[in-house]
Amino acid sequence: MKVKIQLFGASRDFSNKNYLDFDVGKNSTIKDIRNKLINYLEEEFHGNENYKKIVKSSAFCSEDNNIVSDNYKITNNEKIAIIPPIGGG
Amino acid sequence: MLHTKIIDTKDSKLSIQKAENFISSQDYGASIFFTGTVRNENNNQIVTGMTYDSHDELVIKSFEEIYDEANQKLNIKDKSVFIEHAKGYLTLGEISIVIAVACKHRDEAYVLSRYIIEEIKKRSPIWKKEHYHNKESSWLKGNPILHEKN
Repeated sequence: MKVKIQLFGASRDFSNKNYLDFDVGKNSTIKDIRNKLINYLEEEFHGNENYKKIVKSSAFCSEDNNIVSDNYKITNNEKIAIIPPIGGG
Repeated sequence: MLHTKIIDTKDSKLSIQKAENFISSQDYGASIFFTGTVRNENNNQIVTGMTYDSHDELVIKSFEEIYDEANQKLNIKDKSVFIEHAKGYLTLGEISIVIAVACKHRDEAYVLSRYIIEEIKKRSPIWKKEHYHNKESSWLKGNPILHEKN
């Protein structure tokens, strides 16, 4: 299955693009995406601790714009947004 | 009545006049205008500008939820609310957010205005990247998002 992770806020530093593409197994959940991201950061950024902290403290948003839990099951080709800690205004 | 919008700073700037035009009505006796602007200092660093990032759809959804909640939580049903937030680069002194509210009386207008900005801080997915005098920049730390299921 393919999933596109849309990057926002501090997670934009994870890539020059606005997104990351991952291949994941069938029935993968947000928890799996979180682990994929941590593995990606280990490989691409030598396990940058600040970046990993961002992933661990982030929420995730489904394609239909709902904040979803770690148990949320991803569908093929779904776009999932990572929502790092916020602070607008 | 509610107006919400994310304004891309490449296209236009936020305006108090636009907010006043929207909320102005003879039905209301009290209006409050809140603006957030880019400050020149933060944590002992000289700030030269700010880049705002936003998950637009989720931000607009959060604005609508906050407006609706004012009915139940604050019991302020008769109101006009204008909320716009900037997205993109702003220099010092430029407006990042406008919240304008109009109610029948001042007590509820003050309460509503404060409620909206505090809830936006907790629930609207917006991020700030500060730019400093030494040409460096940094995303501000922020707080984990709160949402209705929390």
